[in-house]
Amino acid sequence: MNPTVRDTNSLLHLASERWFGELADRGIIVTDEALLVRAWNPWIAAHTGLTTSEVIGRSLFEVSPTIAARGLDEHYRRALEGEVRVLAHGFHKLLIPGRRPAGPGVAETTQSARIMPLLDRGHVVGTMTIIEDVSERVVSERELRAQIVIAERARVVAEDASKLKDEFLATLSHEIRTPLNAVLGWTQILRTRTNAGSPDRGLEVIERNAMSQLRLVEDLLDMARIVSGKLRLDVKSVDVRSIVQAAIDVVEPGAAAKRVSLTSQFDDDGPVVNADVDRLQQAIWNVMSNAVKFTPSGGAVHVSVVRAASVVDITIADSGQGIGSDFLPYVFDRFRQADSSTSRRHGGLGLGLALTRQIIELHGGAIDVESDGIDRGSRFSIHLPVSDAPLVAVEPPTRASFGDALTGISVLLVDDSEDGREMLEFALRGYGATVVTAASSDAGLSTLQAGTFVPDVIVSDIGMPGGDGYAFIRQVQELSSAYRRMPAIALTAYAEPEDRIRALAAGYRLHLPKPVDPALVADSIGQLVAADRALREHHPHA
Amino acid sequence: MELTELQHDALIELLNIGFGRAGASLSQLTGHRVLLEVPQVTVRQIDEVGTALKEVIDTDVASVHQIFSGPVSGDALLMLDQAGASILKELLTNEPALPFAIDASAREVITEVGNILLNACLGTFGNILNVQVTFSVPRLNLETVGAILESLRVNHEGVRYALLIHAGFKLRDTEIRGYMVIVLSVASLDRLIREVEAWERGNR
Repeated sequence: MNPTVRDTNSLLHLASERWFGELADRGIIVTDEALLVRAWNPWIAAHTGLTTSEVIGRSLFEVSPTIAARGLDEHYRRALEGEVRVLAHGFHKLLIPGRRPAGPGVAETTQSARIMPLLDRGHVVGTMTIIEDVSERVVSERELRAQIVIAERARVVAEDASKLKDEFLATLSHEIRTPLNAVLGWTQILRTRTNAGSPDRGLEVIERNAMSQLRLVEDLLDMARIVSGKLRLDVKSVDVRSIVQAAIDVVEPGAAAKRVSLTSQFDDDGPVVNADVDRLQQAIWNVMSNAVKFTPSGGAVHVSVVRAASVVDITIADSGQGIGSDFLPYVFDRFRQADSSTSRRHGGLGLGLALTRQIIELHGGAIDVESDGIDRGSRFSIHLPVSDAPLVAVEPPTRASFGDALTGISVLLVDDSEDGREMLEFALRGYGATVVTAASSDAGLSTLQAGTFVPDVIVSDIGMPGGDGYAFIRQVQELSSAYRRMPAIALTAYAEPEDRIRALAAGYRLHLPKPVDPALVADSIGQLVAADRALREHHPHA
Repeated sequence: MELTELQHDALIELLNIGFGRAGASLSQLTGHRVLLEVPQVTVRQIDEVGTALKEVIDTDVASVHQIFSGPVSGDALLMLDQAGASILKELLTNEPALPFAIDASAREVITEVGNILLNACLGTFGNILNVQVTFSVPRLNLETVGAILESLRVNHEGVRYALLIHAGFKLRDTEIRGYMVIVLSVASLDRLIREVEAWERGNR
């Protein structure tokens, strides 16, 4: 028997029924000319909860009353006139409400719809509605939009930070050049001076500017250490008044020269805090020197220390130029300056207060600032937790005065930097020492191996081309038993605490960070040699 | 082919009626006042339309395309450059647009806008001509002007003409330029112009 031969139309009809019934991933509604529902596919039945048998033969506007209530019935009238209508969810949200949201993360249903005429030989015989649920797509678009906003914000923040860094670099360059200018200028003058006047003025300027550069470099390094989490505090229990007083002592001459009155008031009961004396003093000094810097001649700076329960408050109030409310929130930000223009009146890197805050916070404290506005003065308050631990006395570093303190002491000085070597050689000779120099560790070893010169002490740089200072001191100690206990001082620009430990482990007795005060080197040499001689007297064979 | 002044004025008048209806629909839909104006209409051979449009749109185009059929048949398109389409969507929905190519919601909104405008204009023509015109479902495409016109050309043989209509959307102090292109066979164009002319004479 031949299989039944079917025409294309009847096959297409079967195909569309199949699609309508089970394949379509969207709602399909067919009405007649009177807008009575004639077909209602399983998708729309599931979506609305209304079964086919419940809706067939009823008016579409009765089945879904919100269509007419929202004025969308107009689209059906247009469709009966031959027009196709698009209903974007962006305008209408949905056509036929569902009984539950479409998918995970979707809070509400959103639909796009097409309403179109059904045509038979050019005549409209009904309508067809296609509904697509776009809820999930709308949610993901909303998320994408939010992410774009976040990315855009991050870009703006990054741009701001980059701008701030550019400004900082410009300021840094300016701040480094300014003292260099004075140093180089005066050096030139001193070198070529023909009149035999005193060089004191020039030397004073050179020293002051070199000191200011040193402070700048130290600030930068401190900031780098803090940022990388490498700043370590050497904590002791101390009377906070002694630290504040030490900071006042440093600032006082500058204040006096500027005719700014500097007064202080301390609680009698000296609160004890756990602090790294040098760091905390530096932090307090930063605030005080700012106060003096931004207070005009004739103004006043007042410092007070008051204990309140378990906290001690150090307050530094001035009658200076104050801080505008727009800048107040950024006072402690790195690289921020109220005025970073080239015409600004005050120098500085904009690091001081940022460092101060970090140091105070490392101490478990806090710092805040108040100002009533421009020209109304500012008031910085530092709050530190009070400690119960017993007090440790803070001894001021001794600075022995020498004339011929090193007479009779011989020094081997090893440093690849010619300038540094020459400066120290000159200084140590000035203190009466006999100095032999070497420009490398190999040269230093050769000198010792020659046997014609036996030093009392070795002073050596660490970072040198060829053998470094660590290897050098080990080789020295292996030369002979006489050198095994040779007092040695490491003199180096590697100034981190771990560098100190490494130098001591290698065999040095002392680690002095560069730049060094020659007087301190001389003092250290004197003490080391004295201790070594005392040891030899008591244990001649040690 | 050149339009006479009478034909030109009549076409502008008719299109303005259609655009007025579309503007009213969009105003009602969005709650904002939306004005649509027809500043310019020209008739060109289909081959010249590309050149004319490339002068004003140099990016990919968002086009809403509907085929209409009946006694007068052809293709109707609304074209916007993508940036214009994004801005229009933002102004109409109060919602920031994503880059148009990945913003399905924006494409849907622009499809409805195009649908409203094309229906209003062709519906007005249909009323004037007293014939029923039926439409295909609108499609939105993103492509170059050249690619759009090429796809129109391959579906039909013979010389075809296009009404090139400049359309200005004005809303919330912003004006967005769009272009409507109605492509017709010679016979359809003839009939349209004759009817339009008769209508204009009747009005006078």
